[in-house]
Amino acid sequence: MANNDREVLVKVKNVDITFFNGKRPFKAVKNANFEIYKGETFGLVGESGSGKTTIGRAIIRLNQISGGEIWYKDLRIDGKLSKKDRQYVVRNIQMIFQDPAASLNERATIDYCISEGLYNFHLYKDEEERVRKVDEALNSVGLLPEHKSRYPHEFSGGQRQRVGIARAMIMEPELIIADEPISALDVSIRAQVLNLMNKFKEERGLSYMFIAHDLSVVRYFADRIAVIHNGNIVEIAPSVELFRNPLHPYTHSLLQAVPIPDPQIEKNKTIQQYVETEAEQNYDKAELVEILPEHFVLMTENEREGYERKAAALK
Amino acid sequence: MSEKQHDIISDEFNEDSSFEFQREDDSASEHIAAPKYSYWGSVFRRFFSNKIAIIMLVIALTLVLFAFIQPMFSGYDPMRTPNINNKSMHYLRPFTTKGFIFGTDDKGNSLFDALWSGTRNSLIVALGATFITETIGIIIGMFWGYSKKMDVIMLEVYNVLSNIPTMLIAMILVYALGGGIPQLIFALCVTTWVGTAYFIRVQVMIIRDREYNLASRCLGTPTPKIILNNILPYLISVIITSVSRDIPLFISTEVALSFMGVGLSQDKASLGRMVQTYAAYMTTASYLFWIPVVTSAILSVSLYIVGQALADASDPRTHMI
Repeated sequence: MANNDREVLVKVKNVDITFFNGKRPFKAVKNANFEIYKGETFGLVGESGSGKTTIGRAIIRLNQISGGEIWYKDLRIDGKLSKKDRQYVVRNIQMIFQDPAASLNERATIDYCISEGLYNFHLYKDEEERVRKVDEALNSVGLLPEHKSRYPHEFSGGQRQRVGIARAMIMEPELIIADEPISALDVSIRAQVLNLMNKFKEERGLSYMFIAHDLSVVRYFADRIAVIHNGNIVEIAPSVELFRNPLHPYTHSLLQAVPIPDPQIEKNKTIQQYVETEAEQNYDKAELVEILPEHFVLMTENEREGYERKAAALK
Repeated sequence: MSEKQHDIISDEFNEDSSFEFQREDDSASEHIAAPKYSYWGSVFRRFFSNKIAIIMLVIALTLVLFAFIQPMFSGYDPMRTPNINNKSMHYLRPFTTKGFIFGTDDKGNSLFDALWSGTRNSLIVALGATFITETIGIIIGMFWGYSKKMDVIMLEVYNVLSNIPTMLIAMILVYALGGGIPQLIFALCVTTWVGTAYFIRVQVMIIRDREYNLASRCLGTPTPKIILNNILPYLISVIITSVSRDIPLFISTEVALSFMGVGLSQDKASLGRMVQTYAAYMTTASYLFWIPVVTSAILSVSLYIVGQALADASDPRTHMI
């Protein structure tokens, strides 16, 4: 792989995630393979119900996996962990949730919401240091220390999401899993939250796993993008490359769905219907192949020739 | 606006000294102008805006205070009957004789004294049983709702216990243990806690998987702390509802048990025992029967309405109006 020089933060290896509806199993994620490097923003896009959130929650250990391995640096983090390892994972991987109204405890003050992680690991010497840390966290997301005694319902959506970010940032994590952090927000404040996330990325060398279905946002925000469809990761590529040369037909049709702000082009655009590929029908035989440098596509052995021809044409 | 832009614009206006450049203050837009919210403050404001609730609270408090204070002065004891041989003191009608506001009963004892002593014992039984039922029910219900492993076992326990009629088990236990107040409280609590626990379990399951609980788990909050800080505060309203239902229920259960002759023992006055003994005088001295019945009804209704009003007021959805 071309990225041997970059430090791998999270490695997801052949991961299956199965839910049970009574006795009937349902595979939400099938054989997922990807890596998140230190300091990058890894985008995960797909339609509703494709398993994006499920993968994110598996990395933060909210969902159990039914096969494969998840590694954080040198530590395998799926399955049962010792108390020390569990705390290590919690401190280094944090999450920003989709709905800021639902993800804050309505009966707790902002002070408690933000200090919750500090209390759990006792990350402060005395009360004074805790107050200082909370004030700093509030300041860094543009909120005021006077907000500490307020309750979440008194805030606007954007402010609440910033509380959610402050709550994650106070743990000083290395990786943040952002599960559609802006999809519940008003269009006018989406940029505010994204800029804030970018600011933290630059200041603290954070890595993000950015889960979204809004392609225009992912294009702006992510360094590399994985496209997921019905639980299968069909394509992984750097975002510029993915938007320029989408190889998998699903990616292609997904990118076509992005509206173009030009009435002339938009009017004459022909939408290609996505037809199930052979790889998807026999997903247990298909695998991700690096067809161009850093560009992976899910394919079966039969399809390989066609993709190679396409890739050669691009070169 | 960046520093550079500020400078360019301020240069243009420098010549006109009547203009002054104002810097924008980002933090001003974050300020919340609304008055500070306090949960319990809002609960009480909401509760005291309800006139019926205030009237009922006054009635309930008067009854409860009277029941606990008056017997201390009267020193009423159903076993002491000083007027039993003085026939002229029997069956005095209410409001006819000084010193006997509610008249006297078949043994010449003051009904007024008997009533408050009986109310006190009935209240002690109801409050004690409610306290124990709710405490055990809430603690077990919380963990029951949260833990899937415990659910499997507890559902079986629930199926067994909830199928035993409370009345039957209370009767058997009072027979076996004797008719004291602690025994009666125990007999009333021994199966009812499982109903409260089941009720709490369902409420916990509704909010268990909400996103803010997942967020707390992501922050490494241990389960007991999640239950205490994330789930219990959401249940205040349903817990108050449950308490306000339990108190009248236990008052009437005590009355019913005593009426059937298996409640408190002979030497303790209680509303139920009074109703039972005086039921025989329905036609000849009906006040003996009706005064305890009406007192028991007023007590139950006023406590229930106060509880319901408090439950409504403690639901934060009613605070925002």
